Amino acid sequence: MKQIRQETLRRIISLVLLIVLIIVFTMTTDTFLSWDNITSMLREAAFVGLISIGITTCIITGGNNLSGGLTVGMCCMVFAHLYHYSSMSLIAIVLISLLAGLAAGVFNGFVVAILQISDFVATLSTGMVFQGITYMLAVRDQYGSITSEMIKNATVSSWGGRLPNGIYYVTIVWLILTVIMQVFLKKTKMGTYIYAMGSNRKSAEYSGISFVKVKMVAFIIAGFMSFVAAMFTLGRNGTCDVNTGTQLNLQAISASVIGGAAFSGGRGDMIGTLIGVLFMQVLRNGVLKFNMTTAQQSIISGIIIVLMLVFDAYYNEFMQKRTTRAAALAREKESAGK
Amino acid sequence: MSNTVKNNPIVKAILSSSRILVLLVLVIFFTAVTKGTFFSYKNLVNILYSVSLIGIMICGACFAVLLGGIDRTVSGNAALSGAIVAMTILRGGVGGGNVALAICLGLGAGILSGLIHGLILSRFNIPAFLLTLATNEILYGFVQLVTSNTLIYVNGCTLMDYIGQKRWLGIPIPVYIMLVCILFAYIVLNHTVYGRQVYSVGGNRQSSELSGVPTRRVILIAYIISGFMGALSGFVLSSMNQQASAGQAKNYENNVLAAIVVGGVSMRGGSGSIQNAILGAFLIGVIENGMNLMGVPAIYKDMAKGIIIIVAVAMDMATQPGTPLYNFKKRFQKKQA
Amino acid sequence: MSEKNELLFEMRNIEKIFAHVHALDHVNFDVRKGEVHALLGENGAGKSTLIKILTGVYTKDGGQIFMNGQEIEINNRDDASDAGIAVIFQELSLVPTLSVYQNILLGKEKSKFGFISDKAEREEIQALIDHYGFPVKANDIVETLSVAQKQMVEILKALATDAKLIIMDEPTASLSSRESELLYKIINQLRDKGVSIIYISHRLEEVFNLSDRITILRDGKNAGVIEKEDIVPSEVVKMMIGKEISESTASRELHTSDAEVELAVKNLTHLGYYYDVNFEVKKGEVLVLTGLVGSGRTEVVRSIYGADPFDKGEIIFEGKSIKPTIKKSVANGFGLIPEDRRTQGFSPLLSITGNVAITSYDKIAKGGFVNKADEDKLGHKAVQLTDLRPANPNVKVGDLSGGNQQKAVLGKWLTRDLKVILIDEPTVGIDIGAKDEIYNIIEELSSKGVAVLMVSSDIAEVLRVAHRILVMREGRIIKEFNHGVATQEDILLASSGFVNEKEAA
Repeated sequence: MKQIRQETLRRIISLVLLIVLIIVFTMTTDTFLSWDNITSMLREAAFVGLISIGITTCIITGGNNLSGGLTVGMCCMVFAHLYHYSSMSLIAIVLISLLAGLAAGVFNGFVVAILQISDFVATLSTGMVFQGITYMLAVRDQYGSITSEMIKNATVSSWGGRLPNGIYYVTIVWLILTVIMQVFLKKTKMGTYIYAMGSNRKSAEYSGISFVKVKMVAFIIAGFMSFVAAMFTLGRNGTCDVNTGTQLNLQAISASVIGGAAFSGGRGDMIGTLIGVLFMQVLRNGVLKFNMTTAQQSIISGIIIVLMLVFDAYYNEFMQKRTTRAAALAREKESAGK
Repeated sequence: MSNTVKNNPIVKAILSSSRILVLLVLVIFFTAVTKGTFFSYKNLVNILYSVSLIGIMICGACFAVLLGGIDRTVSGNAALSGAIVAMTILRGGVGGGNVALAICLGLGAGILSGLIHGLILSRFNIPAFLLTLATNEILYGFVQLVTSNTLIYVNGCTLMDYIGQKRWLGIPIPVYIMLVCILFAYIVLNHTVYGRQVYSVGGNRQSSELSGVPTRRVILIAYIISGFMGALSGFVLSSMNQQASAGQAKNYENNVLAAIVVGGVSMRGGSGSIQNAILGAFLIGVIENGMNLMGVPAIYKDMAKGIIIIVAVAMDMATQPGTPLYNFKKRFQKKQA
Repeated sequence: MSEKNELLFEMRNIEKIFAHVHALDHVNFDVRKGEVHALLGENGAGKSTLIKILTGVYTKDGGQIFMNGQEIEINNRDDASDAGIAVIFQELSLVPTLSVYQNILLGKEKSKFGFISDKAEREEIQALIDHYGFPVKANDIVETLSVAQKQMVEILKALATDAKLIIMDEPTASLSSRESELLYKIINQLRDKGVSIIYISHRLEEVFNLSDRITILRDGKNAGVIEKEDIVPSEVVKMMIGKEISESTASRELHTSDAEVELAVKNLTHLGYYYDVNFEVKKGEVLVLTGLVGSGRTEVVRSIYGADPFDKGEIIFEGKSIKPTIKKSVANGFGLIPEDRRTQGFSPLLSITGNVAITSYDKIAKGGFVNKADEDKLGHKAVQLTDLRPANPNVKVGDLSGGNQQKAVLGKWLTRDLKVILIDEPTVGIDIGAKDEIYNIIEELSSKGVAVLMVSSDIAEVLRVAHRILVMREGRIIKEFNHGVATQEDILLASSGFVNEKEAA
């Protein structure tokens, strides 16, 4: 008899949950399945989704990333700062923002892989640093207080636009990047190494795979995704304030967890993350239609994460017990046969 | 330095503890930079006052860290307890009975929250960091529900006024509350069986279990203490501010974490002391206060804290054989030799 | 036949010296092409040192190594694998969430622009699997496989690197007998395909069945090489033990005591682990459970202590049937020295006192408060009772040597009023001096009337301390040595399943 793998079971559970939610909200509200609502849901989902791509990658290596959302804020602010204070071309500004995102990844990788600080503590701290940089770069008025810089630029605003059929560009970019990352994880050498490192670090290193390299790649990918999210945030809001991105991270982690990424590492993929992101978004959107407050939303999403964590731990324990029990019973059968 | 000075026990203690040394250097530095303002009586009391909240929280969170876990809900517990106390008093009036009920409810919420965390973390193998990250969000959700997202002013409550305003011997009451908590944590950790069990389980859970230590109960109690201390600090915070808000105490958990790791309490569990953690809190407090006096904007203090945490943990990790930093250190020492 | 006898690999006059002690003293060892060659010897005979030299973990201090007649140097793991030598690890080194073929090729994937040609790789590995006829598929995820299948993946990993010489170190230790049969079949297939295998096992029966030749080491020296046709079990055992050892250390006069029964188990059964275990331990008696690793000894002891459950049977302590939990056991005066002291025995960050006192707070604490003076007294008492060095109870146990760490673990229980002590493999990885001291401690305990139930695989040790000996095999007690003289040979044969060998001979 073959075991059901944890991934498969988790995939089924999250899909069922998603479908149940969609059915419930479709039946209880009129506007849920309207095209307008769908496209706007997918737009919101894309921002969380982009961060989630990076976070899932980090989780698969056996780590995490608490600084993803704050990196979005930093990239936004680098852009706004240069836009306001310098006379660089738009392309140069975008490139420098990209560099900021990648640098954030390298810094995270350095702290985690070279200084060997656990991912949680490390990225919590680097997040604090990134937010400090965001404040440092914030655009200020003549009295020195922070203002929200309006970016009045047709090109930038066009990033926030949509196709004739109503689907926003950000949604498309998110989906494309999801597919690319799925292929990267499953079909490339580095992708395999990312799984191997998270699943069994010792044997991965024994096979000649570098811990530092894998962590660096994962965090740089996360930094890149934050950069992409930042550019579309600018396109959507036309402005950047110091709090941009601060709310994204916990949602993104929740999405990854719901999508089957396990903190012990080695598990999870982009398809699962996609389902997780959609689940979170449908929940938030549907809940809004029930006139739930943000308080109720954060309670509900928090409880979902806790339940998922407990389920994960319980399931692992259960499977382990079952495996040892099955082995014992196999031995038992043999000895009875003798 | 002459030998008699070197052998003085106080000098010896200072020299042997890098934290006290750093603290002294910082005090001298800030005193010089602020032309003495830093070292004024008023400012020193200020530091004590501002550290007291974090100090109370540490007295709880320290237990979780010593067990190899962490409790990021100290801030959520504080906010919830503060909000509950304020709302109960607001609804029922400022009379004695209501205040007692309010305090019971507020602290009870903290204990309940700690109980739930303890039950989950002693039973399941879940990263405490992540669980408490999520549950802290839940707690703040409840805070918003309780306060309906508004500022709640508490006027005329004698006890809260007393705690928030009154001074004994020129020192604010919250400082005394912190001292009582430190004494409590110190005695529990150093002079009770439970304290011994905390260190034992933090150092090796399996061997403790085989020696007859009730490991699950040890973990459960730690989170209950943590929940209680968080709630207590919330009550004190509301008394200090005469108000409660939905966002109060937010991000204090980062200060607590910073203080604990700077205080040399290992995140791997089993080693560290409450005294050093409190010393860590003072280090952070002094840095914050000094930066305030120098006119550094608030957000840079967070940034500084982030860097401080990284440096402190990196230094702890550098003592672990096999890490790149350790190897680097060894190579460097070899070169010097 | 001539081709079959062609040498693949040869080690000549290998020397290895650790701290002035010859761990290997001019050892010769060779392997023919397509041969299963077993390496036998007691613990400490030099088997693992030899293996570590030929896999590049240690470097030799003298001698030569030849592969296909060419002299080679093995200085690290890469040298070994370049030479075509591969080891199947006891603790499996696979990545559980990846597939079989991904595991086999990990770190060696062929790629274009970083992309792996998945299909080609899978087919390549499947072809390899089919070639040897292993019951796994290239696409299977490793975590869904059984222990035996995982071992096959390890073997495939070795074969994929064109290994000509595969070392298997106790490969059947964690396999069931059916799984072992499968492994034997695979080993025979590999031999037929021309792969040479160095086989290390304590299970003499399988060694005799499988191997074409046996090399026996004793005390770091060659004790003999035997061809398959010439194998006589009792002779092999004699060579392992050595005849020059005096009777007094190689045998022991056993006796049953008349003292009161302190602990008894009746028909104790934990399905899949051990069955119908019956024995009594009297006051002051040292009863030793011996047998191979995985024969159920540790599990019996853990069940008696309350650390693991059991399905059937009864545990009787001082005449009363008990349902043990750890808490009750400690209160009843039981103590446990666990199998793996590092993970189960002590807290490395705590001092000797801190470790020792943790079991005794029921005695020395009042109202939950600790009396430091009493605690220190306890620490000093433990140091004194076990002759711990350094004799400072404030030293962290993590900083002590292995022997002294074990003494600290013993100290946990010696400082209490013990009635029964359960000791599981107390001297693994401990130097000879400290071993002797630990035996003295055990003897002293028994002279004080403590009932000692000990688990040990080290036969010299068993004969040193035991009053009576039980041999377990596959979860059952298969032989009891209650009185008369037991010799090393008797026990070794019984552990390996040759229970009636001697009577037959």
